[in-house]
Amino acid sequence: MAVNLGGLPMKNPVTTASGTFAAGMEYADFVNVSALGAVTTKGVSLHGWAGNASPRIAETPSGMLNSIGLQNPGVEHLKTVELPWLRDQGATVIVNVSGHSAQEYASVIEALEDGPVDAYEINVSCPNVDAGGMTIGTDPSSVEAVVSRCRQATKRPLIVKLTPNVTSVVDIARAAEAAGADAISLINTLLGMAVDAKTRRPKLARVVGGLSGPAVKPVALRMVWECYRGVSLPILGMGGIATGEDAVEFMLCGATAVAVGTANFSDPASTARVIEGIERYCREQGVDDVNELRGALKA
Amino acid sequence: MTLFDERARLVANAGAGPNLFVATFEAPRLAQSVQPGQFAHMQIPGMESHILRRPFSVYGRNLASQTVDILYQVVGAGTRHLSGISPRSDLAEGFGLIGPVGRGWSPPAATSRALLVGGGVGAAPLFMLAESLKGQGVPATVVLGAQTHAALACEAAYLDLLGEDDVRCATDDGSYGRPGFCTSLATEALDQAAAEGRPFDYVAVCGPEPLMRIVAQEARERGVACEVSMERRMACGVGACLSCVVETALGKKRSCVDGPVFDGSEVLW
Ligand SMILES: Cc1cc2nc3c(=O)[nH]c(=O)nc-3n(C[C@H](O)[C@H](O)[C@H](O)COP(=O)(O)OP(=O)(O)OC[C@H]3O[C@@H](n4cnc5c(N)ncnc54)[C@H](O)[C@@H]3O)c2cc1C
Ligand SMILES: Cc1cc2nc3c(=O)[nH]c(=O)nc-3n(C[C@H](O)[C@H](O)[C@H](O)COP(=O)(O)O)c2cc1C
Ligand code: FES
Repeated sequence: MAVNLGGLPMKNPVTTASGTFAAGMEYADFVNVSALGAVTTKGVSLHGWAGNASPRIAETPSGMLNSIGLQNPGVEHLKTVELPWLRDQGATVIVNVSGHSAQEYASVIEALEDGPVDAYEINVSCPNVDAGGMTIGTDPSSVEAVVSRCRQATKRPLIVKLTPNVTSVVDIARAAEAAGADAISLINTLLGMAVDAKTRRPKLARVVGGLSGPAVKPVALRMVWECYRGVSLPILGMGGIATGEDAVEFMLCGATAVAVGTANFSDPASTARVIEGIERYCREQGVDDVNELRGALKA
Repeated sequence: MTLFDERARLVANAGAGPNLFVATFEAPRLAQSVQPGQFAHMQIPGMESHILRRPFSVYGRNLASQTVDILYQVVGAGTRHLSGISPRSDLAEGFGLIGPVGRGWSPPAATSRALLVGGGVGAAPLFMLAESLKGQGVPATVVLGAQTHAALACEAAYLDLLGEDDVRCATDDGSYGRPGFCTSLATEALDQAAAEGRPFDYVAVCGPEPLMRIVAQEARERGVACEVSMERRMACGVGACLSCVVETALGKKRSCVDGPVFDGSEVLW
């Protein structure tokens, strides 16, 4: 079941999607975080952000919208509270990094270089903040600038998280590759809206938010497939994964590893269940090594 | 606090008023561990295209039958679907209850007299508190408000527990008790008790936010400790996703695990 995601060894291909699992402490009653391929932590910025007004979520058909807005207490808190806990659990750790500028992303990484971190995921794709996030991730030259700056800050594996809210995701993936990324992850949430017709109000205080859950899986699969064929970087695939079979579909489309996000909300043991499901699939299909699945789509 | 996701069986699901139902679940672990004011994050079977769980406060528990009761109002797709599930159907087996979630009511140890104020289905999460206060010999009075007499679904249970002197009701339509909102009854109860020389020293409120804000304000003006139960949209229900934040004097807090019960003077309304 072991895979290698751009220099990050994982004991199995399953991690958590940033922002849906905090740093894992809240899920410790349901899953053993050291049994996961990795734990990807909630987006962290240099000094912390307050996030957006409530309501921050709305349920939509087979999905949900969120506009949390990267609320986080800052990198120092992560270093002193969550990272030591993850280290004690024996977890493999991917820290999801946010910033308003190339410099802030790099500063977060610099602050973490002496910490127990196995890889960084650079979030240039959050739709819920006004500066940084998706405004960077939709522009190839901004992506290149941020990733190059982060590349200077670390030798650890650098995963760049891409937004689906673009015309050509491959163009953005190429910019990340050119700037020295070790892997890409996709997809972040799709920008969307929900409206209450009776009150004529948006269901989110911020009006727009990011769509996630099973509803986005077809879009995510398509983009993983495009990137698999368009760039040579390994891919961390996500978007609506709730079962082992969902995860296998992403690997067939080219993903090396996968992340489970929104599914944690309906079943807090989703990550463990997805790992079991992949193992069962491999047993039943006579697959000896999960790496055989990568890109094995018969298309 | 240890959380678990307990497979639960729906054993009763009976009408309790207009759009109101009481659902009873066989859930031994939850029945044993739930504290007053805590809630269960419910996976309702047969509506998988609705991907989020629904949070419901525990109204009552029965240690002998290992069951918990939930009083719910039909307001949308999930509660409508729930109200249609028969305990005899296959779906009845398929519930999941994450619990016991959250910080419940915590009256100060020195509480000598308590006022409980419940608006609408907000009467339910206060019932176990009333039982626990009674068990400790702390006199409690409850003020209940609802739109109509028929919607006062918890009145009988409170009458059984506390007796009629300590159950006061208001209805919006004037069909029973004091006409109008129950805030006036709450304020009167506070003043009357003070005048009698047996003032309330703890108030617990659950219901619509304006009700909680007003009662918390009245309590504060009289120097009485007050707790409120804050409802927010929830995704994870375990403290991880930050969907459910409440603005407080100490910054943003998560309603699901830092609450749902908060000190009324801490909340920035
Ligand atoms: C801690 C807590 C305790 C609660 N206790 C009770 C109770 O004892 N009895 C009761 O009748 N109701 C209670 N509620 C409200 C109850 O959760 C909602 O009425 C229910 O989720 C509505 O679901 P629906 O599918 O019918 O509505 P829909 O509008 O279809 O739901 C869509 C989404 O919005 C959420 N939502 C809708 N209304 C609310 C609301 N008022 N609060 C929070 N989320 C909401 C749903 O959970 C779902 O995710 C409680 C809420 C919280 C946060
Ligand atoms: C509540 C919530 C919070 C999120 N927070 C972050 C975040 O902090 N950083 C990030 O890169 N992605 C964040 N995401 C996006 C997810 O990591 C993931 O890319 C997306 O939800 C698609 O996967 P899913 O359908 O499995 O949830 C968040 C998603 C949700 C639902
Ligand atoms: S519902 Fe996720 S943190 Fe409260």
